[in-house]
Amino acid sequence: MMERGKISGLQMAILLYPTIIATAILLVPAISGKFAEQDMWLSPIWASLAGFLTVYIALLLHNHYPELTIMQYSGKIIGFIPGKIVGLGLLFYLLHTNGVVLREYGEFVVGNFLPSTPIIVITGSMAFVCALSVRGGLEVMARSAQIFIPVFMTLFLVIILLLFPELRPANIFPVMDDGITPSIKGAIVPSQWFTEFFLIIFMLPYLRTKEKRMTWGMLSVVAVMITLVITNLFSLLLFGDITSKFTYPVMSAARYIDVADFLQHVESIVMAIWVVGVFIKVSVFYYAIVIGTAQWLHLSDYRPIVFPIGLLLIIFSTWVAASLQELSHFLSTVWPFYALVFQLVLPVLLLLVAMMRKKAAENDN
Amino acid sequence: MKLLQNKGKQLLTITLCVIPIFLSGCWDRSEVNDLALIVGMGLDRTDEGDIELSAQIVNPKAMGGQGSSENSQSGGQPVTVKTGTGKTIFDARSKLQEKVSRRLFEGHNRIVVIGKALAERGIRQHIDFFARFPNPRLRANVFFADGKASEILKIMPNFEQDSAEVARELAELRIGMKVTTKDLLQQLASESGATALPRILVDKSDSGEELRVNGTAVFKHNQLIGQIDDALTRGLLWVTDEIETASVTLQPKDAKDYISFKLLRSSTELIPTIKNGKWKMTITITSEDDVVENETKLDMMDPKIIDKLQKQLNKRIRKRIKMVLDDVQEGMEADVFGFADAFHRKYPKQWKKAEDKWDETFPEIEVAIKSDVKIRRPGRSGGPQGVPQDKEATE
Repeated sequence: MMERGKISGLQMAILLYPTIIATAILLVPAISGKFAEQDMWLSPIWASLAGFLTVYIALLLHNHYPELTIMQYSGKIIGFIPGKIVGLGLLFYLLHTNGVVLREYGEFVVGNFLPSTPIIVITGSMAFVCALSVRGGLEVMARSAQIFIPVFMTLFLVIILLLFPELRPANIFPVMDDGITPSIKGAIVPSQWFTEFFLIIFMLPYLRTKEKRMTWGMLSVVAVMITLVITNLFSLLLFGDITSKFTYPVMSAARYIDVADFLQHVESIVMAIWVVGVFIKVSVFYYAIVIGTAQWLHLSDYRPIVFPIGLLLIIFSTWVAASLQELSHFLSTVWPFYALVFQLVLPVLLLLVAMMRKKAAENDN
Repeated sequence: MKLLQNKGKQLLTITLCVIPIFLSGCWDRSEVNDLALIVGMGLDRTDEGDIELSAQIVNPKAMGGQGSSENSQSGGQPVTVKTGTGKTIFDARSKLQEKVSRRLFEGHNRIVVIGKALAERGIRQHIDFFARFPNPRLRANVFFADGKASEILKIMPNFEQDSAEVARELAELRIGMKVTTKDLLQQLASESGATALPRILVDKSDSGEELRVNGTAVFKHNQLIGQIDDALTRGLLWVTDEIETASVTLQPKDAKDYISFKLLRSSTELIPTIKNGKWKMTITITSEDDVVENETKLDMMDPKIIDKLQKQLNKRIRKRIKMVLDDVQEGMEADVFGFADAFHRKYPKQWKKAEDKWDETFPEIEVAIKSDVKIRRPGRSGGPQGVPQDKEATE
């Protein structure tokens, strides 16, 4: 077996939480706000349904082949050649999406903090750190996430608490002015963040115990949902109608903090949250790509290909879009369907075929 | 194998030692002594239609000398004001940069003053810069100057470091309205289409020039349509629930002298109703006051007297609000009170139909004012001071 490390259910949940939330926390308020306006805080609740479904499907698939990842069992389910094709498509999707994530990270840092630093330096250094953690294996990643996540959550709570005096509860009304539709529209793009829970597929075979997998997976979805509802709610109560006008509402909100004339200029907290979160997010995607590629090529070890894939990752992050406008357009138009196909439709189809095969095998007997 | 491991460790140690060198911010390194800290910005319109940007910049020479009187003497004024002209704010800023030896930095900007000539041409297009450019904060207080904004910034106050700090503190005291860049953005995007900015004035007296926040400038659909004075602004603050510090002085019936009250807390609720197609707004104000000065011979411990005074106070508040409604609702027809949002929140369906006609509907809305003042305490003295017990007035 390629991966010798073992992680616990809690560690899996801790790895998945920032994988979803890291980029969502900055981008989702503006996207949901655009469609749902004052109902934007409801959108993550609808969107989380996709998350629950994804985790459920991933676990069902996993139950059919408890020792294997999707790269290995896709061949067993739909045949060798089709399995390889699906695997290649999936690898491309993961690499592409990870390039997008890395680019989002770079755009945020350059746009807000380091405007004259070349973006390649920022994405390159992040990719390098992630490569080191991926080389360390799943267990190393899980343990570093375990250290970082309490920091991540504390900083998030600090921002929320400091914003409290500025909030205007009246901004929430009227609730469901145009019925439920706007909030569902606002949930479409964020739901694809939730389908990223698909990455659980690459972790399930390496769990130390088989119990409570479902519980931890679902708990992670719930935690992400609650965090996003809070984020959207706070952006809404602070900015009201103009939330969607900001590129990064949470960032603008943090810059607004001013407690008693001396606790101000705390936006570096948002930066810290962002760096920690993106580190784990990119690592998890990166890990999936590396282990997937190794399994796709039937290599005996995945470590030699970590750095070459890192180079590809940086290239993807540069090529994925020409500007932040293009990137944002891609994320809100093409990506939801693209992600849906690989993260939800593909596992569902595989599961259906696997179930039919099982039935056919039983009938033969 | 062991040797290789050691080599790897050596390499790691060297790498770890080298990395911190690059952690200091590389390309974006900005030293404090290379920055010109802007604390106040003023926007004016030149006769040619360009934007004149005035920036109040902290004087680094004066900054270093604080504490020792010798140095601060030689350092000069704590701030200087420089101006640049251009088509947009950023264009003007780059012209301004040519005159300043350090890199301009708006991260500590506290106020934005908009001059009258610019405000008359609209403010929406100019506020975008403050929400887009990375440096400025949405926290900066926005003011309207009934003249040139640069004049406001050029005032060197006796009391504080710079005029920007004076303006910010005055806004914080809620003498007039307090509008931050964020609030202004929200007002401009709101359904009412009306915006209000606090007015800042130069107060000339024998002791020198000082700043005063006095009155409010009212905008409708991005156009300056009027200004209201201090008394009306107080009325406006009552309606928008922004009043924090207030002193009310009144003359009781049949008395020659006055009684002063200090407002402790107050809350205002806007309750919209639509009945038979008739739009009505009820303004409910509950407030608490303490007696702080009593010139009359009335006993402040007498519940009957207090009851009468409360009624008089209620009348006073209603009158204040009526005044501002007459002027702004019926005169200027500008909804700076937040009526539109209140109706939208309570009657989303009716609002959608009437949304486009709001400009016509708003002046016609019937407003009822309900005030409930409670005088809680008589202050440190009960009965009138300096009056013999038997000479106290009863009514």
